[in-house]
Amino acid sequence: MPKHYRPPGKKKEGNAAKYITRSKALKYLQVTLPVFRRLCILKGIFPREPKKKVEGNHKTYYHMKDIMFLVHEPLLEKFRDIRAYDKRVKKALAKKNKDLADRLLTRKPSYTLDRLIRERYPKFIDALRDLDDCLTMVHLFAALPAIEKEQIPVKRIHNCRRLSHEWQAYISRTHSLRKTFISVKGIYYQAEVEGQKITWLTPHALQQVLTDDVDFNVMLTFLEFYETLLAFVNFKLYHSINVKYPPILDPRLEALAADLYALSRFFAANSKATIGESQMVTSSGSEQADSKRKEMQTDESELRLAQLQHQLPTNEPGTLMHLIEDAADGDDDEDVERRECKTLFKNMKFFLSREVPRESLLFVIPAFGGTVSWDGDGAPFKEADEGITHQIVDRPTQGHKFLSREYVQPQWVYDCANARIILPVDGYLVGRVPPPHLSPFVDNEAEGYIPEYAETIKRLQAAARKELLPMPGVDKRDLDDPQNLLLEGVISRAEANEAAEKKRKMAMLEKQYHNELKMELQGVPYSSSVSNDNTESAVNDTEGREESLPDPDQIAKDSSSSMSMVVMSRKKRKLYEAMQINKERKRENVNKLKERKAKAAQGSA
Amino acid sequence: MKPQKMRYTDFAGTSGNDDEHRVYSQEDQDEGAEAHLGVEESDSSEDEVAPRNTIGDVPLKWYEDEEHIGYDITGKKIKKQARKDKLDSFLAGADDSKNWRKVYDEYNDEEVELTKEETRLIRRLLKGKTPHAEIDPYAPYVDWFVWEDARHPLSNAPEPKRRFIPSKWESKKVVQYVRAIRKGLIKFDKPKEEPRFYLLWGDDSSSKEKSGQGLSYIPAPKPKFAGHEESYNPSIEYIPTQEEINSYQLMYEEDRPKFIPKRFESLRSVPAYENALKESFDRCLDLYLCPRARKKRINIDPESLKPKLPSRKDLRPYPVTCYLEYIGHKDTVLSISIDVSGQWMASGSTDGTVRIWEVETGRCLRIWDVGIAVQHVAWNPLPELHILAVAVEHDVLLFNTGLGNEEEQEKIKELLHVETPTAPESSGNGTSIVSWIQHDKHEGIMLKHLKTVSSVEWHRKGDYFSTVVPGDDSRAILIHQLSKKLTQKIPFKLHGLPVSSAFHPSRSIFFISTKKNVRVYDLLKQKLIKKLETGVREVSSIAIHPAGDNVIVGSKEGKLCWFDMDLSSQPYRVLKCHPKDITNVAFHRSYPLFATCSDDCTAYVFHGMVYSDLNQNPLIVPLEILRGHRSANGRGVMDCKFHPKQPWLFTAGADSVIKLYCH
Repeated sequence: MPKHYRPPGKKKEGNAAKYITRSKALKYLQVTLPVFRRLCILKGIFPREPKKKVEGNHKTYYHMKDIMFLVHEPLLEKFRDIRAYDKRVKKALAKKNKDLADRLLTRKPSYTLDRLIRERYPKFIDALRDLDDCLTMVHLFAALPAIEKEQIPVKRIHNCRRLSHEWQAYISRTHSLRKTFISVKGIYYQAEVEGQKITWLTPHALQQVLTDDVDFNVMLTFLEFYETLLAFVNFKLYHSINVKYPPILDPRLEALAADLYALSRFFAANSKATIGESQMVTSSGSEQADSKRKEMQTDESELRLAQLQHQLPTNEPGTLMHLIEDAADGDDDEDVERRECKTLFKNMKFFLSREVPRESLLFVIPAFGGTVSWDGDGAPFKEADEGITHQIVDRPTQGHKFLSREYVQPQWVYDCANARIILPVDGYLVGRVPPPHLSPFVDNEAEGYIPEYAETIKRLQAAARKELLPMPGVDKRDLDDPQNLLLEGVISRAEANEAAEKKRKMAMLEKQYHNELKMELQGVPYSSSVSNDNTESAVNDTEGREESLPDPDQIAKDSSSSMSMVVMSRKKRKLYEAMQINKERKRENVNKLKERKAKAAQGSA
Repeated sequence: MKPQKMRYTDFAGTSGNDDEHRVYSQEDQDEGAEAHLGVEESDSSEDEVAPRNTIGDVPLKWYEDEEHIGYDITGKKIKKQARKDKLDSFLAGADDSKNWRKVYDEYNDEEVELTKEETRLIRRLLKGKTPHAEIDPYAPYVDWFVWEDARHPLSNAPEPKRRFIPSKWESKKVVQYVRAIRKGLIKFDKPKEEPRFYLLWGDDSSSKEKSGQGLSYIPAPKPKFAGHEESYNPSIEYIPTQEEINSYQLMYEEDRPKFIPKRFESLRSVPAYENALKESFDRCLDLYLCPRARKKRINIDPESLKPKLPSRKDLRPYPVTCYLEYIGHKDTVLSISIDVSGQWMASGSTDGTVRIWEVETGRCLRIWDVGIAVQHVAWNPLPELHILAVAVEHDVLLFNTGLGNEEEQEKIKELLHVETPTAPESSGNGTSIVSWIQHDKHEGIMLKHLKTVSSVEWHRKGDYFSTVVPGDDSRAILIHQLSKKLTQKIPFKLHGLPVSSAFHPSRSIFFISTKKNVRVYDLLKQKLIKKLETGVREVSSIAIHPAGDNVIVGSKEGKLCWFDMDLSSQPYRVLKCHPKDITNVAFHRSYPLFATCSDDCTAYVFHGMVYSDLNQNPLIVPLEILRGHRSANGRGVMDCKFHPKQPWLFTAGADSVIKLYCH
């Protein structure tokens, strides 16, 4: 008798009953693989790993409960209906009954996903938690061209674009953007919405590279779900700040947008005639027209964004909104960060040159409280405006320069946003190679290696904070806030200790700062002195550490550690060893970085 | 007219019975009639030229192989014309500008040149027009009938009723439509667009019931955040050098870094990322194809994994440092043994000598040269019997060491005297096991075995001793009685090759370790008490705790097994301490210490506390690693023994040195 013999009439038990392979699931559900895939994607069902793979190791297993969940899904029936309906259309077409086919096509059965979203994300916070992939995908498709071959209609691309702009408008409006990072893959943003950190990636606004090895059917199914999800999320978010959703655009602009489509076609035919006409249209319209000449796709979005920008303030029930916002600002004590973000670029006016990534900067600068304009019609203010403090340029040289403003590279904005202070612009001026752009997502201490520029920024931050604070340890903002003062009374002992610790650190940093000031007075250029000091101290440190390790101690430590290793159980010992290996690998990486840096320094010297 | 008639008659004459022809002729007749009626002249070219051939409408295939194509009107054969070859015909065609008008008539076997009118006709036909341009197919209708003066209507029938009542079928169709509209099958206006989005999550405060299924949702792991190296403008140290990039090519594809950092001078020079779509797609695949499972990730300090050991200071005294070295042997010291009093130490070496040392001074007291490598030495455990048992190849020698006072000496001499060398047969069964022979040279007894003796162990009372002869199957373990000069083999079957043996320190229990297991026998009842399963590959040594309930076993893979015999037959604790073979293990007699020594030139000292409370498990704490021996011939420390009274450890090394470690 085999080991796993099951007497006839006895039900399966254990893993054999709990899990089902994919092919069996298909048979069970009586669907084809593509439909099954669609269902799984929409319902968020994924394979699970059984403890014992009864049918073999190389198969995909689904939990039986998941499959039962699919069986009772109304969408399954809906898909069958749609399939049957498609057959009717096909039949009509085959019989050359065009009228019938047309009539059938006009009322094709459709389905909605809102129920599924509610089911998958019972609470709003759940939806926010899972929003990362959604945002990344929607932003990616917003940058893709419509591909007829792959059945990606223009409408969907536009929808993605609209959704992404709506989202960005909300983030920018509520100043919830926290971190930005320009990487080779695109621009990463991290926002904090309702306490959830949401990170997404937007591709660079360029023609995307299309590859063949991508199954667009799968991606479009995902996109379908994500579009719906994002729309509902946007609705909820807009609702939370008392703005109507979908944003009702100015009918005048709306009409213009329709007109402009025709206009742009006309422009394409004879681009000469544009100038005169576009001036006749209203300001935002003409801006659209102009940019439409460049590329039609981005333009509409910009219009939308502009509209959003125009609209959000006008649309909201003005004073009430402000009241709410102020109230929120007033009593929300944990929102120190938000306030910090909101006031970062306060009283600063930015102007974007043509060559900088406008969409991203139009998103980032207002999110941190700045005002921004761009080169083109419909902009809030022109380049010649006297109030502009910074002009963002990304070109080798700037011809005409206003003396009243700084000409900086776009990276400065992102670095400032990450550091939460206004960095000195020296390194970022036109024509210079900017200092390295560091990722805000890395915990340098945990990684064990702190890049030089990160240290510089840290010092600057400390300096800036000192400037802000009349006395170390107490926040200036706290003084402003009566409630906070009340809170001060009931501050716990632990917090007090923490504060003391902070004070001590602050004092140290202050001292350092003073030293640096002194050095500066003596005429040592700032950055070089810092870096020199830094490297020297670092080198000294490491050398000292290495030398300070006497042999017997080392051996003693070694022996004692190996002593306890002897008594550990095998499982723990292996775990310990694995951890050590990991540590070692990390250390190796850090060492490699240090080595490269030393080499580079040598090379430059 | 004439030729047609002729043809008619012709057909009638030749094949009147044929159906087809009849029809054909009929048509002709009609045509003829028509011609008579309206049109004066016939345009048919067929009418003008009579066909030369008269075979009729038969398949031309019939005449394919014939020399003629048919018959003329007089019934004579019409010969086939000579075929022009292609080249000629082409050349002729090329020369003749009218060639395109020529058509080969297969039926008559001749070339017909179409006239201009004929080509015009064909062209019009191809265009779908009437063949003749002058005929207007849409000419206005001329009603020749005169209506005015007619007295009677054309038809006298009364107007039918249906002209006055509504159509039944139309009404039926209308009813059908009406019904369809009422039922909603036909809708005219497009369905109203409902607002697609609404407040889906009304208030989260009333936490909704969980979704129907009991399975917990496992959120997909988030993709890794971008590090410094992914920046468009990373620090220099994140950019690999060209050599490093080249070295990536040598790596396995899986190990190769997916992303190579690159530096761009300015933001405008950053291109679109070529893998954006692919990576997004991969993420999608991961989301819906990868099995998800919750994995516990331990996020702890690795140091916290280490067990909390009692401080070593509290466990003193234990041997720590090398205090003395006993130098004198020329070769590997295989075995050492300490006198019960702790004053003397005996050592046996492969250089063929047995030496006796004074422990405290390191003075070599006496040397016996036996000539062959000494496998094992063992002092008699009785303090008054200064007898040393030495295992040398096939023999076991019992020496009188000459220590002690005269009374003791006499007793010893008496004991070590064999009157008549016992014949082999006297030892019982007639088969020779061991012969006891007086050894004259060194004043002792020699026990001759048949195979190599590997170890000698004394019973606690000093009268019995056991020898292990691994090579001898049935007589692998022998027990000898000194007082009676008697030898007997143990009455148990051994499963496997014996490695070593030991007596229980207080009871009549005997331990035999084979390569895999340790068997415990009761000597009085003569039966197996217990089998200890070590689970190691090859046992090398065994030692019994002085209380007798705990056993340690060293193995050749460097593992040490501690057995608590009251607990189970499985090891209570397995310690993997040595990377190489454990050569010997030892317990201290009074202190809670035990030691292992190994071929890796180290000896470990452990604290091994056994509590009298049975509920408390023994406490094992590693205390010290003793180093100092050098490796020789791949061997390290060969033997270790504790001092019987002091917490001192003696180790014998392959480097021919014996060391004493003191606290």
